[in-house]
Amino acid sequence: MCWRCAQLSRRSLLVGGGAAAAALHTGVAHARVRPEDMVPLVGPGYRPTERDELGLWKEMDRVEEEIAGSNLLIDDPKVTGYLRDLIGTVGGPAAKDFRIYLARIPEFNAMMFPTGFAVVFSGLLLRMRNEAQLAGVIAHESGHFLRRHMIRSWRDQKRKSDIFAIGAMLAGVGGAGAGVYLGDYVQLAQLGTILSLFQYSRAMEAEADAMGAKLIAETGYPPMEMANIWEQLIGEENASARYRGKHRRKGSMFDTHPSEGSRLADLKVDASEITIPGKVYDNHRARYLATIGSIRPMLLDDQVKLNDPGASQYLIETLAQDGWNGLLRFYEGEVWRLRNRDGDDVRASQSYAAAVAYPDAPADAWRWHGIALMKQGRPAEAKAAFARYLTMKPDAPDAAWVRQMAG
Amino acid sequence: MKNIVKIAAVGAALALPACSSVGGDDFGYSDYSLVRVHRIYVGDRSLSVSAPRPWNRHRPIMFEDVRDVEDWTLNGPMLDGMSFVTGLQSGKSLIRQRRTTTQQVPKFRSDMTPPEIAAMIESLYRVRGGAVDFRTLSLKPRPFLGANGFQLDYEHLDEDELWRRGRVVGAVVNGELYMVLLDAAKLHYWDATLPDFEAVVNSARLGRG
Repeated sequence: MCWRCAQLSRRSLLVGGGAAAAALHTGVAHARVRPEDMVPLVGPGYRPTERDELGLWKEMDRVEEEIAGSNLLIDDPKVTGYLRDLIGTVGGPAAKDFRIYLARIPEFNAMMFPTGFAVVFSGLLLRMRNEAQLAGVIAHESGHFLRRHMIRSWRDQKRKSDIFAIGAMLAGVGGAGAGVYLGDYVQLAQLGTILSLFQYSRAMEAEADAMGAKLIAETGYPPMEMANIWEQLIGEENASARYRGKHRRKGSMFDTHPSEGSRLADLKVDASEITIPGKVYDNHRARYLATIGSIRPMLLDDQVKLNDPGASQYLIETLAQDGWNGLLRFYEGEVWRLRNRDGDDVRASQSYAAAVAYPDAPADAWRWHGIALMKQGRPAEAKAAFARYLTMKPDAPDAAWVRQMAG
Repeated sequence: MKNIVKIAAVGAALALPACSSVGGDDFGYSDYSLVRVHRIYVGDRSLSVSAPRPWNRHRPIMFEDVRDVEDWTLNGPMLDGMSFVTGLQSGKSLIRQRRTTTQQVPKFRSDMTPPEIAAMIESLYRVRGGAVDFRTLSLKPRPFLGANGFQLDYEHLDEDELWRRGRVVGAVVNGELYMVLLDAAKLHYWDATLPDFEAVVNSARLGRG
């Protein structure tokens, strides 16, 4: 169901145990699914006809109603319209039937629900370097719908699990529909064990990857971006774990997704297989940045303030591969400042100083630059930085404090 | 700080039903104890305050918390809470956390300026309180405990989709952090508890008891 269910389901397994365990498929070797074999199983305007699927849709309509009314959604018409257009482009035959919601949750995830609505987390928009990558994730999710994975795994599970477990899961979905704790991404992903309801097999994830690669290639995006997303995610998680001195679990017997390495390798083979030599592919980076530009500071802010320095630093450096700017330098400084280890104050001050040299430096960069200068015993320069901050942001919430500092 | 970790608070309350009050009197075991209307010492007992009416103090044993912090509530931690940070030393953090925790609340340092302390509080809400949105409403100088302190006002949207409002009045005294925090649902409870908070802040005095 979701792009990174493996990580989430491991967590929910640890937390919830029980119900999820029944759904686990243990590590079975899988063969690569070829993109060309991926034929959509649903057409435009699909509606269920069988009783169990009708019931499932009814439950999901309630969930969608709750999600649509959640105040955790980002209501930026430009960005949400863009997402709608995007799923309308890479959604295959069901493109016009999909609904897509953007939730303000600073995590990398997106998920498709059985009735054809998708929820994208704001953290995904931060991590995607171009439109092709975002389209890749959305196409992967569309793939789950087009290949009817939800109902297939739901039926598969009903056959395997006892009826009480299913009842408990449905109750969980109903409870989740009440909107409780929607903001916690684990909770949202679970929606009361919803993940264990639609625990996809490795084969299904491989299908969604292949289907997604095919969909984006057909619409003119470079299919290799699918592999790049996965590579970025692995890199980020490794960086985060390494920083806190942890080892990430890799490829255990509990994994339902293809192991990281084989998924990445498969995505690369998929891409090379469906890339037509001579055809011009465009990742539409400029259009992507122009669209999310207005919310990028917020996305960076939400991430960096979680004080996960390994992940944040990796993300900033990944984004900076397309060029450093004042915004990225400022948030690099914020990572050091919040990390707060010996010497980090010097690192942070250097980043702030670098940030304010760019014309797009946010007002906050000037304030923190001023504070750093003040601590270094350079009051005249600090005052100038504070003055610049107040000029850029006269209504700043901390204007009273800054004015006192600026003397 | 457990007022801020609201979801955890609920979880713990559900997990320990056997610990609920027996008889409702002073004997038996309760998760709360009464804060009476006279001067009392809070946290590590280096700060004393007096509340204008009775509040309830969480027992410190239930939650992972640091001894420099004390939490009160009037209507339950989901609706309102007052917290005291008393003499937090440089290099310590507002909440107990493991070295390997991925997302961490920054440690306090004695040379922190009010914006840095405000950022530390914001990370506490985002990392441990599950706030998805946090808006600073104002940060201004305010004398506290005879020192050059600050007042931070903010509001935050939590994962239960409720907007809450908060105010912190604090100061760094001799390199140690002292703060009083109020955090309450924006609707009704904020207005209902703010006068208590102001009275408590204005009554705050340093000195061991």
